[in-house]
Amino acid sequence: MKLENEAALENLIICHQCSTLHFKTKIKDGSKACCSECGGILYRYDTKLIEHGLALSITGLIFFALANFFPLVQIEILGHTQFITIPKTIFSLFDNGFYIVGLICAFLILIFPLMIFVINLVLFSMLKLRRGEQWTKDLLILLAHITPWSMTDIFLVSILVALVKLIGYAQIHMGVAFWSLIVFVMIDLYIVKRVHLSEIWMLRKRIIIEGEKV
Amino acid sequence: MIEIDENKLIACPVCSAVNIDKGKKNTCRRCGSAIYHHRNFSTEKSWAFLITAMIAYIPANLYPMLITNTFGTQDGSTILGGVVFLWEHGSYPIAMVIFFASIMIPLVKFMILLYLLISVKYPLGKDKKVDKHKLYYMTEVIGPWSMIDVFVVAILAALIHLSNISIVAGTAATAFAISVFFTLLAAHAFDETLIKENR
Repeated sequence: MKLENEAALENLIICHQCSTLHFKTKIKDGSKACCSECGGILYRYDTKLIEHGLALSITGLIFFALANFFPLVQIEILGHTQFITIPKTIFSLFDNGFYIVGLICAFLILIFPLMIFVINLVLFSMLKLRRGEQWTKDLLILLAHITPWSMTDIFLVSILVALVKLIGYAQIHMGVAFWSLIVFVMIDLYIVKRVHLSEIWMLRKRIIIEGEKV
Repeated sequence: MIEIDENKLIACPVCSAVNIDKGKKNTCRRCGSAIYHHRNFSTEKSWAFLITAMIAYIPANLYPMLITNTFGTQDGSTILGGVVFLWEHGSYPIAMVIFFASIMIPLVKFMILLYLLISVKYPLGKDKKVDKHKLYYMTEVIGPWSMIDVFVVAILAALIHLSNISIVAGTAATAFAISVFFTLLAAHAFDETLIKENR
Protein backbone atom coordinates (compact mmCIF):
# COMPACT_ATOMS: atom_id res chain seq x y z
CA MET A 1 0.00 0.00 0.00
CA LYS A 2 1.30 3.46 -0.90
CA LEU A 3 0.72 6.62 1.05
CA GLU A 4 1.88 10.19 0.32
CA ASN A 5 3.12 10.89 3.83
CA GLU A 6 2.39 10.05 7.41
CA ALA A 7 -0.42 12.61 7.59
CA ALA A 8 -2.31 10.60 5.01
CA LEU A 9 -2.89 8.00 7.73
CA GLU A 10 -5.65 10.32 8.86
CA ASN A 11 -7.73 9.10 5.91
CA LEU A 12 -7.66 5.55 7.19
CA ILE A 13 -9.78 3.97 9.87
CA ILE A 14 -9.67 0.54 11.50
CA CYS A 15 -13.00 -1.01 12.46
CA HIS A 16 -13.04 -1.42 16.24
CA GLN A 17 -15.18 -4.54 16.02
CA CYS A 18 -13.30 -6.64 13.48
CA SER A 19 -10.07 -4.67 12.80
CA THR A 20 -10.60 -4.30 9.06
CA LEU A 21 -8.80 -1.39 7.43
CA HIS A 22 -10.93 1.16 5.58
CA PHE A 23 -10.47 4.41 3.69
CA LYS A 24 -12.62 7.20 5.02
CA THR A 25 -15.10 8.62 2.54
CA LYS A 26 -17.21 11.73 2.68
CA ILE A 27 -20.73 10.95 3.74
CA LYS A 28 -23.94 12.97 3.91
CA ASP A 29 -24.84 14.98 6.97
CA GLY A 30 -26.65 12.84 9.51
CA SER A 31 -25.63 9.54 7.93
CA LYS A 32 -23.16 6.90 9.10
CA ALA A 33 -20.39 4.86 7.56
CA CYS A 34 -20.50 1.12 8.25
CA CYS A 35 -17.82 -1.54 8.05
CA SER A 36 -18.08 -3.66 4.90
CA GLU A 37 -16.98 -6.80 6.76
CA CYS A 38 -19.01 -6.84 9.96
CA GLY A 39 -21.50 -4.01 9.52
CA GLY A 40 -20.31 -2.20 12.63
CA ILE A 41 -20.52 1.58 12.60
CA LEU A 42 -17.21 3.25 11.74
CA TYR A 43 -18.17 6.89 12.15
CA ARG A 44 -21.04 9.31 11.74
CA TYR A 45 -21.12 12.74 10.21
CA ASP A 46 -23.14 15.26 12.13
CA THR A 47 -22.58 18.97 11.56
CA LYS A 48 -24.50 19.79 14.72
CA LEU A 49 -22.51 17.44 16.95
CA ILE A 50 -21.11 20.28 19.09
CA GLU A 51 -24.54 21.78 19.73
CA HIS A 52 -26.07 18.38 20.45
CA GLY A 53 -23.16 17.52 22.72
CA LEU A 54 -23.38 20.76 24.69
CA ALA A 55 -27.15 20.64 25.09
CA LEU A 56 -27.20 17.00 26.11
CA SER A 57 -24.26 17.35 28.54
CA ILE A 58 -26.05 20.14 30.40
CA THR A 59 -29.35 18.24 30.42
CA GLY A 60 -27.56 15.12 31.55
CA LEU A 61 -25.88 16.93 34.43
CA ILE A 62 -29.21 18.37 35.61
CA PHE A 63 -30.87 14.96 35.55
CA PHE A 64 -27.85 13.38 37.24
CA ALA A 65 -28.12 15.92 40.07
CA LEU A 66 -31.84 15.13 40.41
CA ALA A 67 -31.10 11.41 40.39
CA ASN A 68 -28.64 11.82 43.25
CA PHE A 69 -30.49 14.20 45.56
CA PHE A 70 -33.95 12.64 45.49
CA PRO A 71 -35.08 9.19 46.65
CA LEU A 72 -34.82 6.43 44.08
CA VAL A 73 -37.38 4.07 45.52
CA GLN A 74 -39.43 4.01 48.66
CA ILE A 75 -40.74 0.84 50.20
CA GLU A 76 -43.24 0.09 52.92
CA ILE A 77 -42.50 -3.06 54.84
CA LEU A 78 -44.20 -4.12 58.09
CA GLY A 79 -45.46 -0.58 58.58
CA HIS A 80 -42.01 0.98 58.20
CA THR A 81 -41.09 3.26 55.35
CA GLN A 82 -37.61 3.18 53.90
CA PHE A 83 -36.11 4.98 50.95
CA ILE A 84 -32.74 4.99 49.20
CA THR A 85 -30.80 7.51 47.17
CA ILE A 86 -27.74 6.67 45.09
CA PRO A 87 -25.23 8.13 47.63
CA LYS A 88 -27.09 6.39 50.47
CA THR A 89 -26.69 3.03 48.73
CA ILE A 90 -22.94 3.56 48.57
CA PHE A 91 -22.63 4.87 52.14
CA SER A 92 -24.57 1.93 53.51
CA LEU A 93 -21.96 -0.38 51.97
CA PHE A 94 -19.24 1.58 53.77
CA ASP A 95 -21.21 1.46 57.03
CA ASN A 96 -21.39 -2.31 56.80
CA GLY A 97 -17.65 -2.60 56.30
CA PHE A 98 -17.72 -3.38 52.57
CA TYR A 99 -15.08 -0.82 51.67
CA ILE A 100 -13.91 -2.43 48.42
CA VAL A 101 -17.39 -2.94 47.01
CA GLY A 102 -18.36 0.54 48.20
CA LEU A 103 -15.38 2.09 46.49
CA ILE A 104 -15.96 0.18 43.25
CA CYS A 105 -19.65 1.15 43.24
CA ALA A 106 -18.86 4.80 44.04
CA PHE A 107 -16.58 5.01 41.03
CA LEU A 108 -18.80 3.07 38.63
CA ILE A 109 -22.13 4.73 39.30
CA LEU A 110 -21.24 8.13 40.75
CA ILE A 111 -17.78 9.48 40.06
CA PHE A 112 -17.12 8.26 36.51
CA PRO A 113 -20.54 9.18 35.07
CA LEU A 114 -20.24 12.64 36.63
CA MET A 115 -16.69 13.05 35.31
CA ILE A 116 -17.72 11.98 31.81
CA PHE A 117 -20.49 14.56 31.63
CA VAL A 118 -18.35 17.37 33.04
CA ILE A 119 -15.56 16.51 30.60
CA ASN A 120 -18.04 16.42 27.72
CA LEU A 121 -19.37 19.82 28.75
CA VAL A 122 -15.89 21.37 28.87
CA LEU A 123 -14.82 19.60 25.68
CA PHE A 124 -17.77 20.71 23.57
CA SER A 125 -17.59 24.25 24.97
CA MET A 126 -13.95 24.43 23.92
CA LEU A 127 -14.74 23.11 20.47
CA LYS A 128 -17.49 25.70 20.22
CA LEU A 129 -15.03 28.45 21.18
CA ARG A 130 -12.34 26.95 18.88
CA ARG A 131 -9.52 26.97 21.39
CA GLY A 132 -7.54 24.76 23.78
CA GLU A 133 -5.55 22.47 21.48
CA GLN A 134 -3.68 20.80 24.35
CA TRP A 135 -6.65 20.77 26.71
CA THR A 136 -9.02 19.07 24.32
CA LYS A 137 -6.38 16.45 23.62
CA ASP A 138 -5.84 15.69 27.31
CA LEU A 139 -9.57 15.57 27.97
CA LEU A 140 -10.17 13.19 25.06
CA ILE A 141 -7.46 10.86 26.33
CA LEU A 142 -8.94 10.92 29.84
CA LEU A 143 -12.39 10.31 28.39
CA ALA A 144 -11.15 7.26 26.48
CA HIS A 145 -9.83 5.79 29.73
CA ILE A 146 -12.94 6.25 31.86
CA THR A 147 -15.78 5.71 29.36
CA PRO A 148 -15.72 1.89 29.66
CA TRP A 149 -16.06 2.21 33.44
CA SER A 150 -19.32 4.11 33.60
CA MET A 151 -22.14 1.73 34.48
CA THR A 152 -25.28 3.75 35.19
CA ASP A 153 -27.23 1.72 32.63
CA ILE A 154 -26.34 -1.49 34.44
CA PHE A 155 -27.25 0.10 37.77
CA LEU A 156 -30.70 0.98 36.36
CA VAL A 157 -31.32 -2.65 35.38
CA SER A 158 -30.10 -3.72 38.84
CA ILE A 159 -32.70 -1.49 40.50
CA LEU A 160 -35.42 -3.21 38.49
CA VAL A 161 -34.07 -6.66 39.39
CA ALA A 162 -33.90 -5.72 43.09
CA LEU A 163 -37.45 -4.41 43.03
CA VAL A 164 -38.83 -7.51 41.34
CA LYS A 165 -37.21 -9.54 44.12
CA LEU A 166 -39.09 -7.43 46.67
CA ILE A 167 -42.53 -7.72 45.05
CA GLY A 168 -44.79 -9.56 47.46
CA TYR A 169 -42.77 -8.58 50.53
CA ALA A 170 -43.15 -4.83 50.42
CA GLN A 171 -45.06 -2.00 48.81
CA ILE A 172 -42.90 -0.16 46.34
CA HIS A 173 -43.09 3.49 45.28
CA MET A 174 -40.81 4.86 42.59
CA GLY A 175 -39.19 8.17 43.45
CA VAL A 176 -38.30 11.22 41.37
CA ALA A 177 -34.70 10.08 41.12
CA PHE A 178 -35.72 6.83 39.42
CA TRP A 179 -37.34 8.64 36.50
CA SER A 180 -34.44 11.12 36.37
CA LEU A 181 -32.02 8.21 36.25
CA ILE A 182 -33.91 6.72 33.28
CA VAL A 183 -33.61 10.04 31.39
CA PHE A 184 -29.93 10.28 32.38
CA VAL A 185 -29.22 6.77 31.11
CA MET A 186 -30.98 7.55 27.81
CA ILE A 187 -28.83 10.68 27.35
CA ASP A 188 -25.74 8.71 28.38
CA LEU A 189 -26.48 6.03 25.78
CA TYR A 190 -27.08 8.69 23.12
CA ILE A 191 -24.11 10.98 23.65
CA VAL A 192 -21.48 8.83 25.38
CA LYS A 193 -22.01 5.30 24.12
CA ARG A 194 -23.27 6.11 20.60
CA VAL A 195 -20.85 8.85 19.56
CA HIS A 196 -17.44 7.28 18.95
CA LEU A 197 -14.53 9.19 20.41
CA SER A 198 -12.81 9.14 17.02
CA GLU A 199 -15.63 11.35 15.72
CA ILE A 200 -14.74 13.97 18.31
CA TRP A 201 -11.05 13.58 17.43
CA MET A 202 -11.93 14.21 13.78
CA LEU A 203 -14.04 17.21 14.78
CA ARG A 204 -11.20 18.58 16.90
CA LYS A 205 -8.79 18.29 13.99
CA ARG A 206 -11.15 20.03 11.60
CA ILE A 207 -12.03 22.89 13.94
CA ILE A 208 -9.04 23.59 16.15
CA ILE A 209 -6.04 22.50 14.11
CA GLU A 210 -7.21 23.34 10.63
CA GLY A 211 -9.51 26.17 11.68
CA GLU A 212 -12.30 25.16 9.34
CA LYS A 213 -15.56 27.09 9.57
CA VAL A 214 -18.56 24.95 10.37
CA MET B 1 5.54 8.61 -1.33
CA ILE B 2 6.07 6.00 1.32
CA GLU B 3 5.46 2.33 0.93
CA ILE B 4 3.91 0.52 3.90
CA ASP B 5 2.70 -2.96 4.55
CA GLU B 6 -1.00 -3.04 5.33
CA ASN B 7 -0.36 -5.42 8.22
CA LYS B 8 1.92 -2.84 9.81
CA LEU B 9 -0.98 -0.50 10.43
CA ILE B 10 -2.32 -0.59 13.97
CA ALA B 11 -5.03 1.31 15.78
CA CYS B 12 -4.14 3.27 18.90
CA PRO B 13 -5.87 1.60 21.87
CA VAL B 14 -6.75 4.99 23.39
CA CYS B 15 -7.91 7.18 20.51
CA SER B 16 -8.14 4.54 17.74
CA ALA B 17 -6.08 6.61 15.28
CA VAL B 18 -4.30 4.54 12.63
CA ASN B 19 -0.55 4.30 13.24
CA ILE B 20 2.39 2.63 11.53
CA ASP B 21 3.90 -0.12 13.65
CA LYS B 22 7.56 0.88 13.95
CA GLY B 23 8.79 -1.81 16.26
CA LYS B 24 8.89 -2.27 20.01
CA LYS B 25 7.74 1.07 21.30
CA ASN B 26 5.34 3.28 19.40
CA THR B 27 3.73 6.51 20.40
CA CYS B 28 0.42 7.43 18.85
CA ARG B 29 0.80 10.30 16.39
CA ARG B 30 -2.52 11.83 17.49
CA CYS B 31 -2.82 11.44 21.25
CA GLY B 32 0.76 10.57 22.21
CA SER B 33 -0.18 7.45 24.17
CA ALA B 34 2.32 4.66 24.13
CA ILE B 35 1.39 1.66 22.00
CA TYR B 36 3.44 -1.10 23.53
CA HIS B 37 4.42 -3.95 21.38
CA HIS B 38 6.79 -6.07 23.31
CA ARG B 39 7.58 -9.48 21.89
CA ASN B 40 8.21 -11.23 25.19
CA PHE B 41 5.82 -9.58 27.59
CA SER B 42 2.81 -9.09 25.36
CA THR B 43 0.27 -11.16 27.26
CA GLU B 44 1.67 -11.32 30.80
CA LYS B 45 -0.32 -8.41 32.20
CA SER B 46 -3.56 -9.79 30.86
CA TRP B 47 -2.70 -13.26 32.20
CA ALA B 48 -2.02 -11.86 35.68
CA PHE B 49 -5.36 -10.02 35.81
CA LEU B 50 -7.23 -13.02 34.45
CA ILE B 51 -5.75 -15.42 37.00
CA THR B 52 -6.56 -13.01 39.84
CA ALA B 53 -10.13 -12.78 38.58
CA MET B 54 -10.45 -16.57 38.39
CA ILE B 55 -9.12 -17.00 41.91
CA ALA B 56 -11.54 -14.38 43.25
CA TYR B 57 -14.40 -16.14 41.46
CA ILE B 58 -14.02 -19.24 43.67
CA PRO B 59 -14.87 -17.60 47.04
CA ALA B 60 -17.51 -15.57 45.20
CA ASN B 61 -19.38 -18.80 44.61
CA LEU B 62 -18.70 -20.51 47.92
CA TYR B 63 -19.51 -17.75 50.39
CA PRO B 64 -22.97 -16.24 50.83
CA MET B 65 -23.79 -13.26 48.65
CA LEU B 66 -26.78 -12.11 50.67
CA ILE B 67 -27.43 -12.64 54.37
CA THR B 68 -31.04 -12.27 55.44
CA ASN B 69 -31.76 -11.71 59.13
CA THR B 70 -35.39 -12.46 59.93
CA PHE B 71 -36.45 -12.32 63.58
CA GLY B 72 -33.07 -13.38 64.85
CA THR B 73 -32.36 -16.18 62.37
CA GLN B 74 -29.57 -15.69 59.88
CA ASP B 75 -29.91 -17.12 56.43
CA GLY B 76 -27.17 -16.78 53.84
CA SER B 77 -27.59 -17.56 50.18
CA THR B 78 -24.87 -18.05 47.60
CA ILE B 79 -25.14 -16.87 44.01
CA LEU B 80 -26.27 -20.26 42.75
CA GLY B 81 -28.53 -20.71 45.79
CA GLY B 82 -30.19 -17.38 45.03
CA VAL B 83 -30.84 -18.39 41.44
CA VAL B 84 -32.32 -21.74 42.50
CA PHE B 85 -34.49 -19.99 45.13
CA LEU B 86 -35.86 -17.53 42.57
CA TRP B 87 -36.48 -20.34 40.05
CA GLU B 88 -38.39 -22.43 42.60
CA HIS B 89 -40.53 -19.46 43.55
CA GLY B 90 -41.52 -18.84 39.97
CA SER B 91 -39.51 -15.69 39.23
CA TYR B 92 -38.15 -17.21 36.03
CA PRO B 93 -37.11 -14.00 34.23
CA ILE B 94 -35.17 -12.67 37.24
CA ALA B 95 -33.62 -16.07 37.86
CA MET B 96 -32.48 -16.08 34.23
CA VAL B 97 -31.08 -12.53 34.46
CA ILE B 98 -29.09 -13.34 37.60
CA PHE B 99 -27.98 -16.68 36.16
CA PHE B 100 -26.70 -15.06 32.98
CA ALA B 101 -25.13 -12.04 34.68
CA SER B 102 -23.42 -13.80 37.57
CA ILE B 103 -22.65 -17.28 36.32
CA MET B 104 -22.75 -17.46 32.53
CA ILE B 105 -21.08 -14.14 31.62
CA PRO B 106 -18.06 -14.50 33.95
CA LEU B 107 -17.48 -18.12 32.89
CA VAL B 108 -17.86 -17.37 29.18
CA LYS B 109 -15.55 -14.39 29.59
CA PHE B 110 -12.89 -16.49 31.35
CA MET B 111 -13.13 -19.06 28.58
CA ILE B 112 -12.89 -16.52 25.75
CA LEU B 113 -9.97 -14.69 27.34
CA LEU B 114 -8.16 -17.97 28.06
CA TYR B 115 -8.69 -19.06 24.47
CA LEU B 116 -7.52 -15.71 23.10
CA LEU B 117 -4.45 -15.59 25.34
CA ILE B 118 -3.43 -19.14 24.47
CA SER B 119 -4.21 -18.83 20.78
CA VAL B 120 -2.02 -15.76 20.27
CA LYS B 121 0.97 -17.64 21.65
CA TYR B 122 0.35 -21.12 20.29
CA PRO B 123 -1.24 -22.04 16.99
CA LEU B 124 -4.50 -23.19 18.50
CA GLY B 125 -7.54 -23.15 16.27
CA LYS B 126 -5.62 -21.44 13.51
CA ASP B 127 -7.28 -23.35 10.73
CA LYS B 128 -10.73 -23.04 12.27
CA LYS B 129 -12.80 -20.11 11.19
CA VAL B 130 -13.19 -18.43 14.54
CA ASP B 131 -13.50 -14.66 14.39
CA LYS B 132 -11.30 -13.69 17.30
CA HIS B 133 -11.89 -9.97 16.86
CA LYS B 134 -15.60 -10.55 17.21
CA LEU B 135 -15.01 -12.69 20.32
CA TYR B 136 -12.88 -9.97 21.88
CA TYR B 137 -15.43 -7.30 21.05
CA MET B 138 -18.13 -9.46 22.63
CA THR B 139 -16.24 -9.79 25.91
CA GLU B 140 -15.89 -6.01 26.04
CA VAL B 141 -19.62 -5.50 25.52
CA ILE B 142 -21.04 -8.18 27.82
CA GLY B 143 -18.35 -7.93 30.52
CA PRO B 144 -19.68 -5.06 32.63
CA TRP B 145 -23.15 -6.64 32.88
CA SER B 146 -21.95 -9.12 35.47
CA MET B 147 -21.89 -6.20 37.92
CA ILE B 148 -25.71 -6.51 38.14
CA ASP B 149 -25.59 -8.86 41.09
CA VAL B 150 -23.27 -6.63 43.11
CA PHE B 151 -25.51 -3.62 42.52
CA VAL B 152 -28.62 -5.62 43.42
CA VAL B 153 -27.05 -6.68 46.71
CA ALA B 154 -26.01 -3.08 47.43
CA ILE B 155 -29.55 -1.81 46.76
CA LEU B 156 -31.23 -4.53 48.85
CA ALA B 157 -28.82 -4.03 51.73
CA ALA B 158 -29.39 -0.27 51.71
CA LEU B 159 -33.16 -0.62 51.40
CA ILE B 160 -33.92 -3.27 54.00
CA HIS B 161 -32.46 -2.74 57.42
CA LEU B 162 -35.29 -2.92 59.94
CA SER B 163 -34.86 -4.22 63.44
CA ASN B 164 -36.67 -7.46 62.59
CA ILE B 165 -35.79 -7.95 58.99
CA SER B 166 -32.51 -6.87 57.47
CA ILE B 167 -30.43 -7.83 54.49
CA VAL B 168 -26.65 -7.60 54.67
CA ALA B 169 -24.15 -8.15 51.89
CA GLY B 170 -22.01 -11.27 52.30
CA THR B 171 -18.32 -11.98 51.78
CA ALA B 172 -19.03 -13.15 48.24
CA ALA B 173 -20.07 -9.62 47.25
CA THR B 174 -16.52 -8.37 47.75
CA ALA B 175 -15.00 -11.40 46.04
CA PHE B 176 -17.40 -11.12 43.12
CA ALA B 177 -16.84 -7.38 42.67
CA ILE B 178 -13.07 -7.96 42.66
CA SER B 179 -13.46 -10.82 40.18
CA VAL B 180 -15.50 -8.69 37.75
CA PHE B 181 -13.13 -5.75 38.18
CA PHE B 182 -10.11 -7.87 37.30
CA THR B 183 -11.79 -9.56 34.32
CA LEU B 184 -12.51 -6.09 32.94
CA LEU B 185 -8.87 -5.11 33.50
CA ALA B 186 -7.70 -8.33 31.83
CA ALA B 187 -9.85 -7.60 28.79
CA HIS B 188 -8.54 -4.04 28.56
CA ALA B 189 -4.94 -5.16 28.97
CA PHE B 190 -5.23 -7.67 26.14
CA ASP B 191 -3.32 -6.44 23.10
CA GLU B 192 -5.70 -6.72 20.18
CA THR B 193 -2.97 -6.37 17.57
CA LEU B 194 -1.66 -9.81 18.58
CA ILE B 195 -4.71 -11.44 17.03
CA LYS B 196 -3.80 -10.07 13.63
CA GLU B 197 -0.25 -11.41 13.73
CA ASN B 198 -1.37 -14.91 14.53
CA ARG B 199 -4.18 -15.10 12.07
